[in-house]
Amino acid sequence: MISIDLHDTTTNGPRTEAVLSEAVIAAIAVRGALGVPGVVRTEPGLSGLMYSLLRVARQRSKGLEPAPTEGVRVIVEQDSAGVPAVQVEIAVCVSGQRKASAVGQAVQVAVARALTEAAGLTSASVSVSILDIEFVGADR
Amino acid sequence: MAVNRANEDYLLPCGRDVEQVWQRLDEIEAGRADAHELDCPYCRATRESLTVLRDLARELVAETEGPSLDLTGRIMAAVRAEVRRHDLLPLPTPEPGGVRVSARTVAAVLRFAADGVHGVRARHCRVSTTDTDDLAMTVEMSVAVSYRGFALHALDDVRARVAAAAEAQIGVRLKRLDLILDDLYDA
Repeated sequence: MISIDLHDTTTNGPRTEAVLSEAVIAAIAVRGALGVPGVVRTEPGLSGLMYSLLRVARQRSKGLEPAPTEGVRVIVEQDSAGVPAVQVEIAVCVSGQRKASAVGQAVQVAVARALTEAAGLTSASVSVSILDIEFVGADR
Repeated sequence: MAVNRANEDYLLPCGRDVEQVWQRLDEIEAGRADAHELDCPYCRATRESLTVLRDLARELVAETEGPSLDLTGRIMAAVRAEVRRHDLLPLPTPEPGGVRVSARTVAAVLRFAADGVHGVRARHCRVSTTDTDDLAMTVEMSVAVSYRGFALHALDDVRARVAAAAEAQIGVRLKRLDLILDDLYDA
């Protein structure tokens, strides 16, 4: 979990704090990565797939379609000043039409930007693992 | 081409293939396991993980209304991804956190490049980083050649194509390429 202070000092409203779960951060990261040209999909491992299936079952029982989070691991830490920082590990499959290293770097930038824009988070680092390269079809 | 052309790459340390373990789940539960399947810790651990996933998938499919998911495909993709996580090589990036690529994936890309040379069929390929430079790769590749259509300059073509693929498709420099001619084929 990571806490975000939403308190607006310009008003007299109540102090508000939002708490984001790792699943929310992961979903933001996946969305950021899938928007990068050359990324075909994220790649979950066995534990990630198991968690995803459980999450899908839980949300579908409530009539919801969960946002994808597969292939992402989120680690929340605090620096010496107590400021939270997020480390994201993401595994992807990329298109063979583009240089893998360039796509990987673009994913790092896109995920960090998505976390900042969507949640105001300063990402400590984004680690990308390219587990497959596909050449079928047109470049996405 | 999905670059998992060689599904035989998903071998457990005991030599059995992960997909073979998946296909044998029902047989083993029916009491028809062979001696290796009964004793091997790698097969047993893999079987336990796959059984949990299979059972979970069955529950989800039974509860789901509408089109069923391609759960078998997703499970096997997750298994392949799990294997590939354990042999990652670094790629260049100035961003914190790093970018890495599966060595098996790189090997498949380079084999595909070598296959493009007339009279050559790539076999085994092993990729590693060099001792002095993490961003340069050393490749050892065995190939089979056609004894009717092969010419010696084809090896130069293989070298050029593999180096070009490493640079253009992966983003790393090929420092060393060892080619091993280990078979002939009739074509």
